[in-house]
Amino acid sequence: MSSVLQLQRQFIDYTTSLHNEGYLDNQFTELQKLQDESNPDFVTEVVSMYFEDSDKLLNNLTTALQQRNVDYKQVDAHAHQFKGSSSSIGAKRVTNVCAHFKGFCEAKNLDGCLRCLQQVKQEYIFFRNKLEALFRLEQQILQAGGSVPMVE
Amino acid sequence: MTGCRWQHSCQAVKKAGDSPGTFLSGITQASVGCLSVYNNQADRVLVGMASAVTRMLGQISAIASSSGRNHVSARRRRSSNSNINQEEFPCYSVCVARIAIMVMLAILIGLLTLLTWHFTKVYTRTSLNSLAHGLRYELLQRPLLRMWKILNSTVEITTSQVRLSEYVIRKYGKAENQAQEIELYEVMRDVTWALFSSRKALNSMSIKYRNGFVQAFHRDLRDKNTYYIYSNLDNYTMVEPYSMNRSSPHDQGWNDQMIHGNVSAVWYREPLDPDTGRKTGKQKEIPPDELINIAGISQVPDGAASWHVAVSKFTNSPLLSAALPVWDEDRGSIVAVVGVTTALYSVGQLMKELVDLHGGHIYLTSQKGWLLATSSSTPLLRNSSSGPTLTMAEDSQDEIIQSAAKWLNKTYHDKLPLNHEVLSANAILGDQRYYIDSFFLNLTRLPMVGVLCIPRKNIMGKVDAREIKTFIILISASVCILVVGCICIFILTNGVSKEMKLRAELISHLDARRKAEASSNFKSQFLANMSHELRTPMAAVIGLLDILLCDDSLTNEQYATITQIRRCSTALLRLLNNILDISKVESGKLVLEEAEYDLGRELEGLVDMFSVQCKNRNVEAIIDLSDDMPKVVRGDSGRVVQIFANLISNSIKFTTSGYIILRGWCENLNSFSPNENFYVDQRALWSAYQKKIKRNEKKSCKNDNTMILFFEVEDTGCGIDPSKWESVFESFEQADPSTTRLHGGTGLGLCIVRTLVDKMGGEIRVVKKNGSGTLMQLYLLLNTPTDIPRESYRLKFAQHNLKVVLALNGKTSRSILSCWLLKHEVPIWEANEWNELTHVLQELFKPTYTQNLTYEPLEAEFLRKEGAKMAIFIIVIDIGMLNITTDIWKEQLNFLDAINTRAKFAWILNHDTSNTIKIELRRRGHLLMVNGPLYKTKMTHIIEAVIKESSLDQSKKNIMWTDAHATIQIDTTHTKSSNDSEIPETNSVGSSHIEETNQENFAVYGVVSNFFPELTEVGSEWGRVTSFPNDNSNSEQQVDQKVKTGQKDLEGLYILLAEDQPILQRVATMMLEQMGAKVVVVGDGVQAVEALNTQKETRYDLILMDCQMPKMDGYEATKAIRKAETESVSHIPIVALTAHAMSSDEAKCLEVGMDAYLTKPIDCKLMVSTILSLTKCRT
Repeated sequence: MSSVLQLQRQFIDYTTSLHNEGYLDNQFTELQKLQDESNPDFVTEVVSMYFEDSDKLLNNLTTALQQRNVDYKQVDAHAHQFKGSSSSIGAKRVTNVCAHFKGFCEAKNLDGCLRCLQQVKQEYIFFRNKLEALFRLEQQILQAGGSVPMVE
Repeated sequence: MTGCRWQHSCQAVKKAGDSPGTFLSGITQASVGCLSVYNNQADRVLVGMASAVTRMLGQISAIASSSGRNHVSARRRRSSNSNINQEEFPCYSVCVARIAIMVMLAILIGLLTLLTWHFTKVYTRTSLNSLAHGLRYELLQRPLLRMWKILNSTVEITTSQVRLSEYVIRKYGKAENQAQEIELYEVMRDVTWALFSSRKALNSMSIKYRNGFVQAFHRDLRDKNTYYIYSNLDNYTMVEPYSMNRSSPHDQGWNDQMIHGNVSAVWYREPLDPDTGRKTGKQKEIPPDELINIAGISQVPDGAASWHVAVSKFTNSPLLSAALPVWDEDRGSIVAVVGVTTALYSVGQLMKELVDLHGGHIYLTSQKGWLLATSSSTPLLRNSSSGPTLTMAEDSQDEIIQSAAKWLNKTYHDKLPLNHEVLSANAILGDQRYYIDSFFLNLTRLPMVGVLCIPRKNIMGKVDAREIKTFIILISASVCILVVGCICIFILTNGVSKEMKLRAELISHLDARRKAEASSNFKSQFLANMSHELRTPMAAVIGLLDILLCDDSLTNEQYATITQIRRCSTALLRLLNNILDISKVESGKLVLEEAEYDLGRELEGLVDMFSVQCKNRNVEAIIDLSDDMPKVVRGDSGRVVQIFANLISNSIKFTTSGYIILRGWCENLNSFSPNENFYVDQRALWSAYQKKIKRNEKKSCKNDNTMILFFEVEDTGCGIDPSKWESVFESFEQADPSTTRLHGGTGLGLCIVRTLVDKMGGEIRVVKKNGSGTLMQLYLLLNTPTDIPRESYRLKFAQHNLKVVLALNGKTSRSILSCWLLKHEVPIWEANEWNELTHVLQELFKPTYTQNLTYEPLEAEFLRKEGAKMAIFIIVIDIGMLNITTDIWKEQLNFLDAINTRAKFAWILNHDTSNTIKIELRRRGHLLMVNGPLYKTKMTHIIEAVIKESSLDQSKKNIMWTDAHATIQIDTTHTKSSNDSEIPETNSVGSSHIEETNQENFAVYGVVSNFFPELTEVGSEWGRVTSFPNDNSNSEQQVDQKVKTGQKDLEGLYILLAEDQPILQRVATMMLEQMGAKVVVVGDGVQAVEALNTQKETRYDLILMDCQMPKMDGYEATKAIRKAETESVSHIPIVALTAHAMSSDEAKCLEVGMDAYLTKPIDCKLMVSTILSLTKCRT
């Protein structure tokens, strides 16, 4: 029981830290709220969808930016999509970088775009790692027989 | 003169510069018309003049208008280039127009004058001249006729005398002797007398016989006597009747020889009775040939009648004498010569009478120039050595006649016209002008010339005088008209020129204003662009700094530096945001949101935020909101908070010590009664408001839910000079420029505040304050939502038998709180510092204190007693009361521990309260801690917590207390915190009810974790603090329950979701389905339109439309749907989903026909409320 409590506390601390450091925002909390018995794996489902989508989008972005004649409109569309999905998932920092990315796209600044792409990738990987860690923790809690605490 | 004018006007026209050529031609035509006046062709002139005048007027108007047009166009040309000479131009053209009009007027009037004068003159003169001519002719004719008559009668008399003489001589011619001869003479005398007496006008009548005998009758005109003159018969021998041989030349000589030979002959004169012819006196001897001219044979040399003008000694007038020979029977020889003389005196007399009336002169001359008769009384004869002779006209003693003769002579010399007819109207004789007319009377043997001089004055004098007078009058009248006209023109055009000047000024002002506006717009635009451009990299900088701060490998120094950079960046960003706000407002793009929010909570959060800053500066930050403030209002929370944030930060900037109070109270629009409880005199603001109300009474009074919220921000800083009270609200304006150095800032804050307040229908101003500092008053018009009952909520503390000790450092906040508590009938004690607190506590807990350590039973007894009374002590202690610098605070805590069991402690923490103290406090069981500053809501929470605690079961309480983490957040930013304060009995709001009870069930008292309000100043995101709910699964279940039972708001709704991103699809679907709605998902706009078209039985209640989608984006899809809808009456609500968060996007969405607008990421509550409002509208 104590380990469950500890895990729960750890989970809460971790989630809070994610929030405080800006990796997550309330949208993620909203997602968590949406999860119920009828959709017990809603968050993981959505997040994994996001990961798949993001991998694809990042690839698209990378290839689009490697073209000789960069189609900024396309890049912008990709970035916009990425931004939208990130904001829906609550990946705040990714969203922010995406917003800058879009700004560079509008300015047709290739250097800025490439830099932003790197940042986005980095942020995305951070976010992915953090979220995976969170899910691991969640799994541990569930395995230990506790319930995942709600973080508001 | 006229020509001169024309030239002048032409020059003036040329001066005008670009005058149309037609004008010149018009002028030429007009001048031609003028010239034709002088051709004296009156009728044509009139027509010509009229046309010329009309043309001229047309041209004038044309030039006026064209100059106006030129003027305007020139102005436009100029104004685009420069403003130089802008004022001169209209004056110039007005001058020209004025001169042109004046010249036209002058010409018109001049022509009129001339014409009038001319016609008057010409017609009068002509008629008068003809009259005068007739008169003169008549005047001349009459004396000539008289002369003619005289001549005729003379001739008649002479002829009849001749005939009678012939008869007498024939009868008595054969006289043989003296007696017979005498008989002949006697008969002859009688006959002659008969003739002579029958003609009174005759001067003399003579018969000279061949033998030299003379018989004559003579009338002396001087003494009116009539004489008979005869020669002495004795001297004449009876000679044989001589034969007169015409052929013998020596016969002719007899007469003269005889006369001259008979010098010795004696002549006699006897006076006669003029009527009877009888002798009245004795005969007298007179020298021969002395009295009268006796016509001799020499006067009829060829036997024909002869005429001549003679003079005599006895008359002063010339005589007309005629002589005829008397032939014998066979006409072989002349037997006698008859002579008749007539005085021309009567002619002169007649002439005198004639000209007397006219004052002129008439004279008759012979063809040679000898004067025969004059109208003057000067003598016609001259005495010369050889007796009286005729005078020439040139030598007449009458000056006029003399000069007239000379004038004629001089004028015509020898070249007199054949008939001597002269008609001159303009001869100057002496110093007067005369008419001179001469006529020629061609009598056989005596041609005569008559001359008439009449002074012009007498005939034309009045005309001439009138003419001059008329001319003068005309001239003066026209000059007057001209002057008056010019003055009129001047006055009229003066107005016009003034108007033109004004218009020019107006135009230049308009230009200037347009320029100013344009430049102001440019400025705003520039600022907006710049700040927007700057904001993006700033956000990036801050974001990157955040990333950097997360890095664990930073050294402390680096960390501090980065923190500093971040703070600076934040400040810079805030400045940029301010500028952006200003330009947004200036360009009118600021759109206030309309959303429900808890005003009190926002303001409290604001004060919480600023309290940290205040604490550092040793300034109290106090919020004092009245209890009747509406909990929920509609409006733009961000902007309202911005207003107060600006005001408070401004106050903090200028306040070094003292306090800053934010007061707020509310007045319903319809039930205002001045509330005297407030410190501030609000009447001034109120009256200002009422004025405004009157203006839009209809609009505002209809809406019952409009509240007037009054606020005051008061500080004890340096204050604002009264003269700057208005100007501080202008852009870039600071009350004292020198403060910029000291405090920094751009002076934009208050400007933003004012524009925002104006936008919200309120007013802000600085009010006079007692003491130093500034007092800002403002009111806002805010709507309260209709569906939330605004019951006046009253805290019911009194029934709980509370006793409160307020041990707070801040004097002002303490007094406000104590007032408020007293109003709610809660007895209080105040303490300012530790010693005072101990004193108060000792007073309160005296029995306990004395028996504190030793008498446990007593204590228990006391407790029981207290418990029975249900008296609850709440001791609110500021952490600042503890002496933290040394270790004394632990002893102080020990002291407090003594009464811990009987009183509840609520600790007011500071942001910098160290963790050790908190841990120590927690360890000692002081679990109720709140962050400063303390205000009513927090106080309410404390009291409620205490009440709850005391009412809870003791055992449960113990369990709770053992759990260190069983904490409750008294969360000032919690969604329902305001409702939390309501006790369950009064809470009748359905939706919040369950949450309420839930929270109260599991939420227990503990440490308030809101130690450090996270001041994320980027944007308006306030520190969001998470609460740590209890870990029991109960809570989760209840949350689920809550969601299921309470928020299935969208039950039964059928929603079409158009979204291309799978994640969003999933999330939104999840959200909607949890709310009970049925969702159909499509991937793009085309599908959405199709889905709508193919819907059969089920109709979609609403569409959620992503704006950016492949194939067909949301805007296009909406347009297509709306277009399709025009055929049917249905209207399906469409809600936009977009990642763009600009107001302009919202405008675009609404423009294409969407009904509402949601931003990504989707806020579940907002979405639900939006959907509900739209579908509700529909049903």
